[in-house]
Formats: sequence, C-alpha cells, structure tokens
Amino acid sequence: MRLSVAAAISHGRVYRRFGLNPRSRLDLLRNLVTALVRYERIETPWARADEMRGYAERLIDYAKRGDKDERAMRMADFWLTEKDLIHKLFKVLAPRFQPHPGSYTRLLQIPNRDGLDRAKMAVIELKGNPLPPLPGPRRDSDKTLLNQLLKGYRQDAQRAA
Amino acid sequence: RVSSDGKPPKFQPPPKPVIIDRRTQKEERRFLSPEFIPPRGRTDPLKYYMERKDMIQRRKVFSIPEFYVGSVLAVTTAEPHASDKSKRFVGICIQRGGKGLGATFVLRNVIEDQGVEICYELYSPRIQAIEVLKLEKRLDENLMYLRDALPEYSTFDVNMKPVPRMANEEIPLNKLQVRMKPKPWSKRWERPKYNIKGINFELPEHKMQAAQKWSQPWLEFDMLREYDTSKIEEKIRKELSEELEK
Repeated sequence: MRLSVAAAISHGRVYRRFGLNPRSRLDLLRNLVTALVRYERIETPWARADEMRGYAERLIDYAKRGDKDERAMRMADFWLTEKDLIHKLFKVLAPRFQPHPGSYTRLLQIPNRDGLDRAKMAVIELKGNPLPPLPGPRRDSDKTLLNQLLKGYRQDAQRAA
Repeated sequence: RVSSDGKPPKFQPPPKPVIIDRRTQKEERRFLSPEFIPPRGRTDPLKYYMERKDMIQRRKVFSIPEFYVGSVLAVTTAEPHASDKSKRFVGICIQRGGKGLGATFVLRNVIEDQGVEICYELYSPRIQAIEVLKLEKRLDENLMYLRDALPEYSTFDVNMKPVPRMANEEIPLNKLQVRMKPKPWSKRWERPKYNIKGINFELPEHKMQAAQKWSQPWLEFDMLREYDTSKIEEKIRKELSEELEK
C-alpha cells in the first residue's frame, strides 16, 4: 500500500523549483528582483519572470509602508543585494506606485532564446518606467468582420433602447 | 471670590466632566474563532460561505465559548452506553485544528497515571455542553509537546471549579516553561521548525546548536508564504455580528 505521494506528482503546488534547493531558488529570484529594481525592464526566461513577479509586487507593497517600518527595511535589505537600490525603492518606486492598489509590473512574452535551449523568454518591466514603451498586445482593428458585426449589434441595441 | 461692584459674583458653571467611553475600545478586541477563517487555496468560497451559515445556525442553538490553546475545558458529550447517557471530560486544550464545520480541538488530561487525549468536533451535535474552567493562553499554538513533558503539567483535577474571570479583561498569557521527560521524545521539539517557546530545554549547548542546523532563515523573507487575513477577518466578523443579532 503506497502511503506517500510519489515524488513526480505535484498537484496544487504553487512554487516552481529553481536552482539547487529552496535557498538557492530564493537567491536566484533575489538577483532578478535586484536587477528589475535597478534597470526597471529585464529579459529572462518566462518561468523565472512569472515567479519573480509576485515577490517584486509584494516588495513594493512593503516599501509603501515607509522606510520607518522595521519589517519593511529588513525585507528590502534581504531582497536587494545592491544596497543603493534600497534608497531608490523607498524614495522613487514607493511614491510612484502609491496611488495604485496593485499590479505594478507588466509581463510580456518575447520570441524564444537564440541559444541551443530555445527557452521561452519574457520581458518584465515596472509600470511607469522612463524607457520607450513596449509594443503591447495589439487589439484587432475595427475593420475585421467580427468587430463590424459587434458594432452593428451595439448600434441596433442603442436604437432599440 | 472677589465680588464685582458689590453684586453677587457671576455664576461660573462647574467644568463639564470628561467622559472616556471605554466600550468602543474593547469592542475592537472581539474574538473570532479560528475555524471561521478560510485557508488559502483554490476551493470555491461558496463552500466556506455555506459552512459558515451552518456554523452560525449551530451557534444560535448551542453557545460555543471563547477559548484558546492552553485553556482548561470541561466537555459533556452524549454517550449511548453510559448510565445517565452523558460523559464529562476535563482537560487542557492542546490543539485546535480544521476549518469550517469539521473544526476540532484536542483535550488532554492524565487520569490515574494514564495520559488521555480526546479529539472533539466543535460543531458535533453529540456535544451537550462546553465549559471553560480556566481561560488562558500559552506561549505556543500547539501543545503536543505535553506528551513528552512530565505528567504533572498535564494533570488537571476532574472536579475543578471554574476560575472566575472579570468580563472584558485581557486574556492572561501563561509563560510557563515546561520540563520534559528524558529523551527520546515523540518529535524532536528542539528543532527550529516547531518554534516552541514553552519548553525549558535542559539539553547541553552543543545539542541545541546541532538542532539549529535544520533552521531555514530564508523562510521569514519568503513573502509569498505570508497569508494576510485582516481583510477577510473583518468581513467575516461583520457577517457574524449581523447574523447572530437576528
């Protein structure tokens, strides 16, 4: 009788496995978060960007508490390996995102990596950054058949109302 | 008083008394039973909503008192084979588990030198009365280490009288440090994963430091593991207060 879950089954697990062990996974994500805070737009494999997104947004939530908060300062000290970025986090990023309640990052997929592994890559950026905008997901133009039919339906509904 | 021009002095009304209403401050510290807080997961919140409705229904009929891990309770359950059809058990609550209707609590006592633990379901219809004999908190949320502690820390008098407690007082925190039986224990309580503060370890220094090898200091910085229940708790508290007033 099998009493333990087989090692290959991971039903319901939310955290991806990176690196050698949980400590190295956090170190990897920490380097990515530091890079994101420094350059505000980075290109990484999609899985790492997706995992990092949650930590980056929670870090900004902590930063919004203010730098007088002991816990916020400890978190920033752990997550940002380059200590000059702590100042940037509290003085630049926290006020920038103060009016927004959440979702401070944007994650977009880019063509696969050129190397042998052809990894699925993504670009993750903080919103409101000073770099030129990325070509976001383009919506279908108004001239497509579906959009024209929907426009006609909306006009009929307006006329009936 | 100096009279002004021979006329009686102007009437000075006495200063208004300053009324400090402490009732509003105390209402903020209301207790929310931990089984109402839904766990983090992918289940439909409708399930927890329906369970909460049933829990409120049961609480309207049968009062479940406020208690914490470390308080001494007396529970009377219906027993088909007892002569007067009911059974009373007194013990210290060592663990509160489960969420929703399946919430349980484990009471431990030592009766005639035999340690006895009984796990009761809070919302089971077999329970006829729950009485809190001594309401207090301990340093840990889980007192399973009492199994490996000396039996004197788990013995409670079966005919104990309830300790009187004034309403709206702070729940006393018992900072008792328990002494253990010699090793081996059922679990290695000195390891940091259990994070136990209520044991007086009399182990040598090198053993305590060897146990720290299993510590995971990065866990406290792992932000995604934190579950902030403040907003959920507020909503549930409001819901509860509305339903129980009906």
